[in-house]
Amino acid sequence: MSALGGGSAGGEGINPAASVIALVIVLASVGIAYVVYPAALIPLIGVIVGGVLISFGVHFVPVGGAPAAMGQAPGIATGVAMLAAGGGLAGLFGGAWAAEMGIWVALGAGAMGGGLLMAITCLMVNVVYVYAMGIPAASGKVDKDPITGDTYEGYRSQGTEGHGLPFISYVGGVIGGILAGAGGTLIYLELLSVYQEALPSFLGMTPEGMQTLAVSLAGIFAVGMFLVAAVLTAYNITGTIEGPHDPKFKRWPRAVIGSSAACAACGLVAILLVVI
Amino acid sequence: MEEILFGIGISALAGALATVAGAAEDTESDIGSQGDPNSQVQLAPQMGYVHRIYNKAISGEPPAYGLWVALAAGIAWALMAIQYNAILALIIGSAVAVFVQGVYATTAYLGRTASLAKFEQPVYIDILKSVTTVTMAHAFVAVFTTVTMCFLIIEALGHPFPLPLMGLVWGIALGAAGSATGNPFYGKERQYQNYPFGAGLPISASGDIVRYAEAGQRSSLDNGWFTSKGAGPASGICFGLIVFFELWRTILFEPFAAGWGAVIAGAVIIIVFMVIDRMVETWARKTYGPYTTAEAVTEEEATA
Amino acid sequence: MTVKIEASEGGMDHNVMLGIGLVGALVCIYLVYLNTLMSTEVFAFFGGLAAIIALWWGTDSIKNLCSYGLGTGVPSAGMIALGSGVVAMLFATKLAGISPLLVPVGCVVVAAILGAILGFISDKVLNMNIPVMTRMIAELTVVGSLTTLGFTAMVAGTFSFGDLITGATSVFGVEIASYASSVIGGCVLATIFMLGAIAIQHPFNACLGPNESWDRTQMCAIECGALSMIVIAIMSLAFLSLPAVVISFVISIILWGWSYSELIKLSKRDAFAWLDSQPIREVGGEQ
Repeated sequence: MSALGGGSAGGEGINPAASVIALVIVLASVGIAYVVYPAALIPLIGVIVGGVLISFGVHFVPVGGAPAAMGQAPGIATGVAMLAAGGGLAGLFGGAWAAEMGIWVALGAGAMGGGLLMAITCLMVNVVYVYAMGIPAASGKVDKDPITGDTYEGYRSQGTEGHGLPFISYVGGVIGGILAGAGGTLIYLELLSVYQEALPSFLGMTPEGMQTLAVSLAGIFAVGMFLVAAVLTAYNITGTIEGPHDPKFKRWPRAVIGSSAACAACGLVAILLVVI
Repeated sequence: MEEILFGIGISALAGALATVAGAAEDTESDIGSQGDPNSQVQLAPQMGYVHRIYNKAISGEPPAYGLWVALAAGIAWALMAIQYNAILALIIGSAVAVFVQGVYATTAYLGRTASLAKFEQPVYIDILKSVTTVTMAHAFVAVFTTVTMCFLIIEALGHPFPLPLMGLVWGIALGAAGSATGNPFYGKERQYQNYPFGAGLPISASGDIVRYAEAGQRSSLDNGWFTSKGAGPASGICFGLIVFFELWRTILFEPFAAGWGAVIAGAVIIIVFMVIDRMVETWARKTYGPYTTAEAVTEEEATA
Repeated sequence: MTVKIEASEGGMDHNVMLGIGLVGALVCIYLVYLNTLMSTEVFAFFGGLAAIIALWWGTDSIKNLCSYGLGTGVPSAGMIALGSGVVAMLFATKLAGISPLLVPVGCVVVAAILGAILGFISDKVLNMNIPVMTRMIAELTVVGSLTTLGFTAMVAGTFSFGDLITGATSVFGVEIASYASSVIGGCVLATIFMLGAIAIQHPFNACLGPNESWDRTQMCAIECGALSMIVIAIMSLAFLSLPAVVISFVISIILWGWSYSELIKLSKRDAFAWLDSQPIREVGGEQ
């Protein structure tokens, strides 16, 4: 993302006490929503699931950070949170467009929007590596591709940890885009349903006038929460990851716990907006 | 039918605008040296290589372009709200956004370079004057085409997002596509031009960027000259394809199967790209072959 | 190969900066309320000043946080701050239904709670184990929410939800109330969001390095805030009367011009050399 990699501070393992507290935050948020505004219970759960999808999805996205830009490490040469945001927000675009077709279609459209961005971006990354720089793809973390069975031992150039996007990373990128796109869309749709339902009665508006208001509110909240969940996940994987075969991938449970608590808190505030 | 044809036409136009935007975005970021390859520009003086390359450390390209495009869209929206002509509003919005971009670029260069005084890296004022204006010009092309594309998607295709939110979404997507595609080409092929072609840069060589040109000293403008022949068009194709397929699949296939048509079309397109990627990957493995032959590896193992 | 992040020593104590930032930003936002009291719009620019003061404080928080090395770039900290800050800020504007005077204080309280939760998650649940993390993320969320609240107050001249969702469009000279042409309905917030997200991380991101100095980084923060004020003033054309816009614009231009020239002076002071059209000075003497 920038010139900084810094020392990676993230330790391994799960902190049980903190995780329990995070789950308590989730339950407390759901409880408050149920007491204050029962109709918002399902949407809040949707928002939490959306946050979980985003944070789980970001783990799949192969991000190499600064070393990838010099062909020193495999992955896409940009920041993890921002790449996922690109995919997720493109998904949000597709999902919001299909919102009136029903939640499942909209979720599918959002997922495909995110997946499409990642599929094309990852393809062009490999095209540039192969045709413009003459470098074949090689993973640094595994010697054998779990999907295709390609071996990478001879394909790492000297003094590097691999380069390009091996097929497993490509598939990871697409899965990550699909999950992040679906997650962002889910947050948007759930908040949109809350606002569409509540704004006319709470504020005494005409339904036609407030459609654009509900879209704007849900949109900006979805973007904000998306970035919160994506950055928390970026902190969890300390910047770079190769994809689902990377050992760092195993850290996903704590990011999922953290993001669900973060989205529960933010989602509760976003929903309480209509109550007071 | 006519409506669908109109929609396809708008998709094609939006895709074309996005292609221009992607190419201009990557060239702009390479001239200014933004994003991940900038780590080497930052690192070089610490390794004793004082250089005359721009150091535009604003942030990664996705957030930076998120701001420029959202800003252009916000100002265009505000001007349209007070009944300005839409095209004039888009142009004024982009111009103001590019002014902000230029100011951010100068503060980034001054800030980063002044903070490198310990390594005796001077601030070259002539770089500031000559390169900033060129990055601003490229940024204008990228921002104006993207914000026009957003405007088309809203006005002609009826997307529910307001213009500033649409600008934020596509600005971040533009930066993500452009940085992902363009960064390795600038980072490896241009900054480390004197290292062997067809191999990644050894980690031990980091910081030893090329600082001299065929004649005289390398200027950041030469980097734009170089990357506009490879990474720029590739980024353009990348972002153009993303926008075009995203719109095309929705417009053409959404009427089928209660909306599922567009989802299925998206899945099919993804699988097609996946197959193409696999072909590219195997082509490279077959054509270039491994860096070390199998015998050499076994010999090494035998000696070890 | 990464660059070590070094934060400058010296400068003002962070707790003092927190106090100045919090109180200053709150006072400036409350001054925007003069608009409602005196039924005018000319005090909108105080919102921008509030945002500058908040950014000035947030720059030091981000410096404290990022000097530990997060494993990812400085900009991500700005994103998480604004992402949660905008949620808290929108919620707080709704408190105007109870009393408009509750909005700025409510904004700080809600943002602090949200930020503390996020900081706790990153520090403990994600095992980052950075001692200042909980506090700094909480501060950054407050800064993010105050920045968006300040800019929103500047663009609209008010900070109560009811006013932010109603705008007026004139069709053939006739004013028609419409939600779509309001600050929230038009999602000008998206622009404000990005302006804040870049402005909060840029000063430290741009000035980091071994010779980073406190006053230069802080001047850069003021410059970023003033630059954002200029464009916010242009956007307020859609919501405010012309005199109010002109006042905002002139104040932001003066502030930006002053801070930019000061920043250049400070960069000149800190730079190793200030050269115009000179060749590369070889340090190692290889060539």
